[in-house]
Amino acid sequence: MGLRLTLATLLATAALGASVLTQSAPVVRGLNGSWENYPVRGDGFGSGVPPKVAVAVPAPVPEPPLKPPFLDEWRATQARNAELTKKGLPPVSTGMACMPEGMPAMMQGTFPMEILETPGQVTIIQEAYNQVRRVHLDAPAIAPQDAEPRFAGHSTGRWDGNTLVVETVGVKESVRFRNTPHSMRMRIVERLRLVNDEILENQITVDDPEYLAKPWSWTWMYKRWPGYRIEEYVCDDNRYFEDPALRYQRLRVN
Amino acid sequence: MRFRRATRLVATPFAIGVLFVSSLQAHHSFAPYEPNVQIKLSGMVTNFKWGNPHVYLELDAVDAKSGDKRHWLVECASTSILNRVGWRFNLLKPGDQVTVIVSPLRNGEPAALLKQIVLADGTKYSNGAAAGRSTIE
Repeated sequence: MGLRLTLATLLATAALGASVLTQSAPVVRGLNGSWENYPVRGDGFGSGVPPKVAVAVPAPVPEPPLKPPFLDEWRATQARNAELTKKGLPPVSTGMACMPEGMPAMMQGTFPMEILETPGQVTIIQEAYNQVRRVHLDAPAIAPQDAEPRFAGHSTGRWDGNTLVVETVGVKESVRFRNTPHSMRMRIVERLRLVNDEILENQITVDDPEYLAKPWSWTWMYKRWPGYRIEEYVCDDNRYFEDPALRYQRLRVN
Repeated sequence: MRFRRATRLVATPFAIGVLFVSSLQAHHSFAPYEPNVQIKLSGMVTNFKWGNPHVYLELDAVDAKSGDKRHWLVECASTSILNRVGWRFNLLKPGDQVTVIVSPLRNGEPAALLKQIVLADGTKYSNGAAAGRSTIE
């Protein structure tokens, strides 16, 4: 009898412990569901339905504050790419080779995204290229030199009141947001917060002591898209190739 | 009045192109296609490939203006864009008769970017915002 009681007490304590562990994990803060880029765009890109309450549209992403030699190169590349595109000879791009956008571009990806809040983790899925980011909550930050290079990098996060602060390191050097070079010392900090029930704001700051003269900051926004189901996007039928002589994109006609 | 309308027809696809330039870069550019030329082709579907980065349609079709019959490769948008503007993976099959309004490649090869497709029953579908609107009937 006494043994049985002890066992029961032990089991009850274990169950209580497990439940306490689960409950002590961060609670859902309202990010769950599908989101489209804001301002909204219809005609295939999003719902095209404006929010109930008008929210000011964020300013465009500014020019990267690259250090002088890199900034000159970047401006020259942008000018050359624009000129080639105007002539109908678009320069080669990673997207043409079915490569995912990676961080931070995937946070304003081509298509809608889904956010899933589960205990200890926030998962962000961008429809284009089936891109996935896992933000590990309350996990120790990873030192850039210890982070295996990845397209989405390695993200850790914490709730600061109602703001989810996410730090990302370990983005592959080949991932070039807006043709901007970066080193493995690049660090991206995002501050995500709900402006209201429909609009999510993401204040992004990129820092890279090797390439940037100062932090590069901008804001992206998303509108909730209730009921939208993220689709599959596997880039398995690429018909574009790089013209070997002129280094521009060409379509394989037949 | 007529002049003003013509200007608007040219300006609208241009504005759309500028607006969505960042999205186009995500996959690949539509710059190899004529930016301001649209033609109408009518004929038979020989292949319909539902996939990404883009959906492709092959046609044995006649150019409404020149009367030339050629085998065309027609580039459509991504599967999810097309789903969101009303297409389905099984919308077309070989043997279907369709009429398309497209912008051909600038280099003269028989490939084109879809602007609008009209099925045999008269149903019209766009190719989403990134591809631009049809400016001819």
